[in-house]
Amino acid sequence: MVCIRKATIDDLLAMQTCNLFCLPENYQMKYYLYHILSWPQLLYVAEDYNGRIVGYVLAKMEEESNECHGHITSLAVLRTHRKLGLATKLMSAAQNAMEQVFGAEYVSLHVRKSNRAAFNLYTETLGYKIHDVEAKYYADGEDAYDMRKQLKGKHGHGHGHGHHDHGHGHGHGHGHGHGHHHEHGGGCCSGVEGKVIGKKEAKAM
Amino acid sequence: MGASLPPKEANLFKLIVKSYETKQYKKGLKAADAILKKFPDHGETLAMKGLTLNCMDRKSEAYELVRQGLKNDLKSHVCWHVYGLLYRSDREYREAIKCYRNALRIDPDNIEILRDLSLLQAQMRDLTGFVETRQQLLSLKPNHRMNWIGFAVAHHLNSNASKAVEILEAYEGTLEDDYPPDNERCEHGEMLLYKISLLEECGFLERAVEELHKKESKIVDKLDYKEQEVSLLLKLGRLAEGGNLYRELLSMNPDNYRYYEGLQKCVGLYSENAQFPPDEIDRLDALYKSLGQEYKWSSAVKRIPLDFLQGNRFLEAAENYIRPLLTKGVPSLFSDLSPLYDHPGKADILEQLMLDLEHSIKTTSQYPGRAEKEPPSTLLWALFLLAQHYDRRGQYDIALSKIDEAIEHTPTVIDLYSIKSRILKHAGDLAAAAALADEARCMDLADRYINSDCVKRMLQADQVALAEKTAVLFTKDGDQHNNLHDMQCMWYELASGESYFRQGDLGRALKKFLAVEKHYADITEDQFDFHSYCLRKMTLRAYVEMLRFQDRLHSHAYFHKAAAGAIRCYIKLHDSPPKSTAEEDDDMSKLPPSQKKKMRQKLRKAEARAKKEAEEKHEESSAAGASKSGKRHVKPVDPDPHGDKLLQVEDPLLEATKYLKLLQKNSPNSLETQLLSFELNMRKQKILLAFQAVKQLLRLDAEHPDSHRCLIKFFHKARSMAAPVTDTEKLIWSVLEAERPTISQLHEKSLIEGNKIFLEKHKDSLMHRAAVAEMLFVLEPDRKLEAIKLIEESTNNVVPKKGALGPVREWKLKDCIAVHKLLGALLNDNEAQLRWKVRCAEYFPYSTYFEGSRSSAMPNSAYNKTSRNSENGSANHSGGETADSLASNGKLEAFVDLTI
Repeated sequence: MVCIRKATIDDLLAMQTCNLFCLPENYQMKYYLYHILSWPQLLYVAEDYNGRIVGYVLAKMEEESNECHGHITSLAVLRTHRKLGLATKLMSAAQNAMEQVFGAEYVSLHVRKSNRAAFNLYTETLGYKIHDVEAKYYADGEDAYDMRKQLKGKHGHGHGHGHHDHGHGHGHGHGHGHGHHHEHGGGCCSGVEGKVIGKKEAKAM
Repeated sequence: MGASLPPKEANLFKLIVKSYETKQYKKGLKAADAILKKFPDHGETLAMKGLTLNCMDRKSEAYELVRQGLKNDLKSHVCWHVYGLLYRSDREYREAIKCYRNALRIDPDNIEILRDLSLLQAQMRDLTGFVETRQQLLSLKPNHRMNWIGFAVAHHLNSNASKAVEILEAYEGTLEDDYPPDNERCEHGEMLLYKISLLEECGFLERAVEELHKKESKIVDKLDYKEQEVSLLLKLGRLAEGGNLYRELLSMNPDNYRYYEGLQKCVGLYSENAQFPPDEIDRLDALYKSLGQEYKWSSAVKRIPLDFLQGNRFLEAAENYIRPLLTKGVPSLFSDLSPLYDHPGKADILEQLMLDLEHSIKTTSQYPGRAEKEPPSTLLWALFLLAQHYDRRGQYDIALSKIDEAIEHTPTVIDLYSIKSRILKHAGDLAAAAALADEARCMDLADRYINSDCVKRMLQADQVALAEKTAVLFTKDGDQHNNLHDMQCMWYELASGESYFRQGDLGRALKKFLAVEKHYADITEDQFDFHSYCLRKMTLRAYVEMLRFQDRLHSHAYFHKAAAGAIRCYIKLHDSPPKSTAEEDDDMSKLPPSQKKKMRQKLRKAEARAKKEAEEKHEESSAAGASKSGKRHVKPVDPDPHGDKLLQVEDPLLEATKYLKLLQKNSPNSLETQLLSFELNMRKQKILLAFQAVKQLLRLDAEHPDSHRCLIKFFHKARSMAAPVTDTEKLIWSVLEAERPTISQLHEKSLIEGNKIFLEKHKDSLMHRAAVAEMLFVLEPDRKLEAIKLIEESTNNVVPKKGALGPVREWKLKDCIAVHKLLGALLNDNEAQLRWKVRCAEYFPYSTYFEGSRSSAMPNSAYNKTSRNSENGSANHSGGETADSLASNGKLEAFVDLTI
């Protein structure tokens, strides 16, 4: 019915179109590029039988803080493609990669207080808990729930097939979308410029 | 740096550089002024002051100061470097590269400048230069990881993957055995996977597999590890191992179709076109049945067999597939089945199946042969499915009756209204479609999807103002009224550009099309920061893919539409210039030529002056704003909101040529590109380029009506040209003389004969007959009546189909509209046009264009009422589909429906 696979660079334009069509939080292309060029393992798409992108998850690792954790930047499923459990499948895929590749201890996300459909998906199907409330998080002044799900120590869990969310595809995303920031250094899996290599003498060719 | 200064000033100079790096521009400026007080001609200080001002949005001053500084100290690499940075900030990369090169002539081993140069070379795809610079950086600093990686990537990009492998292995040789430490494991694993993908690219498949296995413990990303391994095994023909691995991957993600495809390849059951001999179908069926046991939750294992099964087995599988999805109420079921409509015979089977299910549920509330009662919603979703089925078949009346029945059954399901809106759009009633989409929108104001759907329909119905009002409900961003442009919402910009174009508002149309073009330029620009970022982050496979993606970015569909739209606007602008310039020309035409020229120059100078003043004013105000609030300045107001200035181009065809070149480079295999090239070059009198376009059209699709039109029109025009006088004309003439016999359509035939033969070949097709009629009129204007007769004698045949479930006719609404326009605009026969309209109104009763009896264009139609009731009260737009075609051929199908 719908193929769930890792996103490639060629999917980004379609992901952006999908995002603009169904979510109020939007991002410029550079922000999508930033994600795929930083954590290519954490972007997944749902592609229908006609080759159209009908859903995606865009996720990242938070590398500045002490605890290594993942963060869901944006999740969307077209309204026409609900009742297929796509949101659950996309989220499970991204969460698995966070845990397996980056050793994430937990994953966080923001959701509009008013978005009951998404909230139910996160709490009931995916096991997220409210960690905090961020006042006026969104551009229009709405509050966000800061939600978290523990990952470590939960090995051997399934892939979520069989669960079917009835989410509306409202999804969520953070409010200041156009920001594009490069984070440097620190954290669980990061590169530092000018890192000096090995103790052996290295010679240029 | 600052070497020629005394110690105190030299320290101040260091402060300027530091302030620039830490973005403390005011501090830097103060230091610069302190030096300049004593040494007003100090070149490097002047340059640094300029660079600092550049960051404070004081552009013109910046350039002046940097140039002055350079003039005072031509031998300073700092001045050249700064000049390069200034150009770089304005995206003038070629100029920037020149400056860096001058700087390096003075200071060849300056690492910072070399690094900046390498970034520009990557951006501009100066790959040989990139390799050289990266090599130099590595020789200067071989103990930096990034320099090894950069050198390898440079070779890879420069088509030398094996060299890249050597470099990476040399780099690995410098590492200790226990490398990497914990915090670098991800990056190191990425590097290894990159190297293995390079080996694969070189065709060293065995080595790649060995290396993969050897480094298994160091590769963190286990999923990529397996995907890389299976790809290699498949290429090596190690199919048994590959098959096992695909099963392993499927157990991790049974919804990835690519794994199924891979598994089929491994067991020898793969075919490009999904056509299989009967024994293979049996084996495939067995394979998927066993996979279905294993992956019970996967919908893929149930859906894929519908592609290869035939006849009764297809029917059985389709029934098993559809039943539970109807019970569950999955709205995307039809879209999921729709590819099967291209398989011969399957649409008929599906139709019968859907009708049987509908009948059974209606009469017994059960599926045939089942004891359980279905919930009431099953009937709703069965009707929903049937409505879309009939829509797809073009039987709009049945489609509408099914969807109306569904709405009556449960009036609260939003999807029903969206689908009804889509059916009405297909049937030709755009205003009613927009009204229904608006009704759907009002049922859940918090859902942006139905808002967007409604905006799309409003734009299709040319209700642009209303569409914007509706879209804005979701696009407020702080103080900003509408962030659609900032967020690169291209589908919206294209759809409104197309609507403006249909309405003849070329300024606004151009504005929208060029906005999309700008987004693509910005995306190209976006890659800049990643040249250094990815080398640090070690996401090398993604980086190289990104560069390749950027190289083909302009072949993307949205860009194609935007460029084609802009070209059409410019062609139309050329064919009928706007009044203001015409009047201006009128005034000037009274003057003698010499004065005309002076007058024009004067006008141009005045414009330039005004522009400069405006710019300075803007800089002043933004500088003031920056100093007051310390925040980024407010976005300047758009000085040309209606695109009026865009219409005042001196030579619209020249502008159009810019975009045509991009299309020719990036989508040369599109018929549309070549049609536009033909239209443009004919107008520019570029005979040989127009001929090139004709040849390309014949190569792409010689039987297409538009290819035929262009061919005939071209040689007709060539024949009517005056005898050649100049050498160029003689040359063109001789080329055409030599080429004409190579065109089989015209080989030893006159144009009239060629036209006749084309008719014989395609006499059952409306659009081909229309093309022939048009060309007949072009070649022999006195046979106009015959041409009209040729069109009117076309018959709208009923498509043969098993089972009489209502007639399906061949003609498409958009084709009939194009023919209607042809009869009016070109053949100029009002009576024939009227006859055509009456006839088409019969075929398309919902069409507002033809004022069909059931369309909202008619005062008493049912849909007219709904549209008046809806909240936004969509006005009664008739003739929504007025896609004006530019080309005299009447069929340059202006815009295909926007698919999201």
